[in-house]
Amino acid sequence: MAIIERPAPGIIVPALPAGAPAITPTRTFGALKRPVASTGWKSWLFTVDHKKLGLMYGATAMFFFIVGGLEAVLIRLQLAAPEGKVLNADLYNQMFTMHATTMVFLFVMPMAAGFANYFVPLQIGARDVAFPRINAFGFWCFLAGGIVINLAWFLGGAADGGWFMYAPNSGPVFSPSKGVDFWTLGLQIAGIASLTGAINLIVTVLNMRAPGMSLMKMPVFTWLITVVQFLLLFAIPVITVALFLLTFQRSFGAQFFDVAAGADPLLWQHLFWIFGHPEVYVLILPSFGIVSEVLPVFSRKPLFGYPFVVFSGAAIGFVGWGVWAHHMFASGLGPVSVAVFSVATMAIAVPTGVKIINWTLTMWGGKLVFSTAMKFSVGLIVLFTIGGLSGVTHSVAPSDTQQTDTYYIVAHFHYVLFGGAIFGLFSGFYYWWPKMFGKMLNERLGSWNFWFMVIGMNLTFGPMHILGLQGQPRRMYQWTEARAGEGFFNIAFWNLVASIGSLVLTFGILLFLINIAITARSKVRAPLDPWNARSLEWMTSSPPKEHNFDSIPHVHHLDEFFHRKYEEDPVTHTMREVATAEQILAELERNADAHIHMPSPSYWPLVLAAGLPIVALGILYSIPVAIVGGLVILYAIYGWSLEPSVAADSDYEGPSSNGHEVGATHG
Amino acid sequence: MNHRRLSLLRTGSTLSVTMMKSRRLALRALAATGAAAFLGSCATNAPQDTWQPKGPNAKMIDDLQQPVFAVAGIIGVIVAAAVGFAIWRYKDRGQPIPEQTHGKPALEITLTVIPALILAVVGVFTFRVIFDLARTDDTQLVINVTGQQWWWEYDYPVQNEWGITQPIISSGQLVMPVGTKVLLRETSRDVIHSYWIPALNGKRDAVPGRVHTLRLEADAPGIYAGQCTEFCGLSHANMRMEAVALSDEDFAKWVAGQQAAYQSPAEGTLAKEGESVFLNQCVRCHQVEGLQRADGTLAIAAPDENVWSGAAPNLTKLMSRNTFAGAMFDLLRDACRDDVWRADSAEFGAKYLAGVDETCLNVNDLRAWLRNAPEVKPMYANPALLADTNGKYRGMPNLGLSESDIDKLVAYLLTLK
Repeated sequence: MAIIERPAPGIIVPALPAGAPAITPTRTFGALKRPVASTGWKSWLFTVDHKKLGLMYGATAMFFFIVGGLEAVLIRLQLAAPEGKVLNADLYNQMFTMHATTMVFLFVMPMAAGFANYFVPLQIGARDVAFPRINAFGFWCFLAGGIVINLAWFLGGAADGGWFMYAPNSGPVFSPSKGVDFWTLGLQIAGIASLTGAINLIVTVLNMRAPGMSLMKMPVFTWLITVVQFLLLFAIPVITVALFLLTFQRSFGAQFFDVAAGADPLLWQHLFWIFGHPEVYVLILPSFGIVSEVLPVFSRKPLFGYPFVVFSGAAIGFVGWGVWAHHMFASGLGPVSVAVFSVATMAIAVPTGVKIINWTLTMWGGKLVFSTAMKFSVGLIVLFTIGGLSGVTHSVAPSDTQQTDTYYIVAHFHYVLFGGAIFGLFSGFYYWWPKMFGKMLNERLGSWNFWFMVIGMNLTFGPMHILGLQGQPRRMYQWTEARAGEGFFNIAFWNLVASIGSLVLTFGILLFLINIAITARSKVRAPLDPWNARSLEWMTSSPPKEHNFDSIPHVHHLDEFFHRKYEEDPVTHTMREVATAEQILAELERNADAHIHMPSPSYWPLVLAAGLPIVALGILYSIPVAIVGGLVILYAIYGWSLEPSVAADSDYEGPSSNGHEVGATHG
Repeated sequence: MNHRRLSLLRTGSTLSVTMMKSRRLALRALAATGAAAFLGSCATNAPQDTWQPKGPNAKMIDDLQQPVFAVAGIIGVIVAAAVGFAIWRYKDRGQPIPEQTHGKPALEITLTVIPALILAVVGVFTFRVIFDLARTDDTQLVINVTGQQWWWEYDYPVQNEWGITQPIISSGQLVMPVGTKVLLRETSRDVIHSYWIPALNGKRDAVPGRVHTLRLEADAPGIYAGQCTEFCGLSHANMRMEAVALSDEDFAKWVAGQQAAYQSPAEGTLAKEGESVFLNQCVRCHQVEGLQRADGTLAIAAPDENVWSGAAPNLTKLMSRNTFAGAMFDLLRDACRDDVWRADSAEFGAKYLAGVDETCLNVNDLRAWLRNAPEVKPMYANPALLADTNGKYRGMPNLGLSESDIDKLVAYLLTLK
């Protein structure tokens, strides 16, 4: 485990007294020599650095974003005209199931995990997360899970029961391909990533904040990420149980959801949505966090009502557990349950509304700088509001029985998840890109990127409000002119508009990929503090050194970095610059900690994670293979347990003279 | 230091005037789209429009939701206007960095309490409607509705006050009297389906192993379109239904017609030959009440031995309805169909009760269906995929009928009314 120093104010305390004998064994258990490379592909494969892992999460999630996006385009091409022939019914069902699965589990969640991995330790002034090897293990589980889920495309067809996978339609009779099996097993593996990540980040945030950073001086992004980790900690076990039961039903003849054997299919719905609704907040809160960082920076003002935003975030984290059955208003729960969940759902609109109000008031009276990051954040406020308000209309349960399972719901959650979650993530890309890569994304191209996405997103999902209110159900591989109607609101016209919109949206996202490519080739380095930022992650070099901070900063303010740069004039209450970012960084470097103790790379996380898909494939094809996978897992756990937290010879390596690349001498 | 100290090349602090304009245009377009969506469904005739209630249950929902839509719309406009104003008013024009204020708790609390109060009011009305819509004690007619992949079965239990002296089993179209509080008792034989006639009420899932109730009542005679709304597999998109409301008199005629005895086609006709094709092929799954085999015994269908859900549509009075194959196809040609759908309230009943005759029969779709059903409606009817179902089909398989057999069957089916 990482032993991160937390010197008391004014005193430099090394992890161990200087000159103390190494107390860790010099040999590690295993067939391979312990990896120590800090450059080259091995440094990525065996890394336990939260920043590298954050980038790996991000890159993998971006790949799945493209996959899920292409699936969406195929869906819209199929629905552009009546009796679409692009996909057949079977392929269409796989497509919408995998589009949702990919976007939820393989894009938004891991992308948020990537940002959290990268920026939570930086924002709280830590050198890494609490359990770096478990962090690496989480990434490899996510990757393995994503591969297993998608492997089904090539092995007889992907899952076809919808991402909600309602029983009994997910049973072996009704979904005879192996797609659902790959799906359940893949999600169980990916779920390990969320669960370990949750524990890791909670421990990190609670224990490893820089001196002086009380919880109420913690940046909002870190706050909301922490709320998300608690949601995951309690939600992932629920879905894991459900998936486990389904795996046993499909692969070993168990009867948990078999009506003929006395099961009630609503059991699955409850399990799924007890996970599924907190999951909605898992998807949106990280983006709320990003926006709550970006808006103050580009308004040159602190977040309006910081404690309200924090507590409303925590309130969402609690109330979010009491609204799951609003996904089941048409399921036949009975009026008492429906009434209770209807009111609870209205209640959760209040803390969500608080956030919208606070963001708007943050801009109020500010000095607004419209960078691309800011544009995406402002876009989120408006688009999320539309999604939030359509959400209120179906918190009214009777109204929901008209709207649920129609395109109105599709419109609603795409405004929330695309206009909300994804716009937030894009805001994060543009805001933090210079921090992660030391280069700025092109702002002019970013503006085009933003406008194409705004217009494309509204053209795609706006008409879906009309389609749904006109009675077009979801999950139909074809629609027919017989039910299209005539006049301005006819379903045929608005389906076509939505399909054209999806192409505009695709082009917008293509511009982002082009922007990445151009930026990668560019030689221009980003300035140290390109946005005049406010929080600790900007109080170090870009990209940060492996140990993040030469000396752990002592925190006195919310927005510590800003308050080191500016002081308030006591008479005019205007802010005047007292130090530049460069000066502040130089100061930190002069006071560099004498000893910085970073965890060494390890190959055990990768080996352990590699065992899991072997078990999964073994369950589906041959039990002996599963046993082999189990042995790999046991071997990895054994080796991991006996591995010291650091390679013996990398102990007590101080920062090199330029403060860069601890451990680089061991290549 | 490993980074290079560059002066700020770009701060992204300027926003060109054109950008400002396009932003405002976009906001305006957004507002227009929103307004359109809200005004939207008033002047339209999409058959599943959720904003055009045609009965008291749907009306109750609509009366509840319209003010909510309106308030939501107004709040949306206020937020967009506030954001738009802030963008315009506070953009960086070189003003100094503002005072670092951290919020105004009184304002925060006010702005939190106001939406909470609005929602509390909405909640009270919502409560009332939820419980009103759950009532079952005022029921006048009960109809059992059973979903299976990918069609609905309607079964009218004996209710002497309506002249139903023996159970009526039908599918595709739910026939009900106008101005009557009908209670559907829903269940399913395989996966979860959802029953939804938007003009008459919201949707309610049909769940295997459970019975759920749904109130329906239509104000005027006519046909009300609906569609299965819980994803139920391959042909979910093709699982449609229609509710047909008839005046009390016409409903009585319909009930009498459904209970009329079976009449075998005259000897020597094509239809009579079709009857024997039916006995050879179709009766394995499809029941026709009163149909006898050559030896005089009643032909009893055995869908439970051949179909996974254990049921196939009862075809006794097939030509009294306007649709087939889970209401995916019309039994009427387009012109005849439009004639029925567009008939006014006074004429509708007579036109509907006329049923389907040879001149109006949509013979192309019916023949295509008989020729190879899984080709025109995706179903798990592939014999290679039957291992998990003990050889039972899900949906109608390709029977490999010859064209002459199809001629005969069509002639026979036309007599079933």
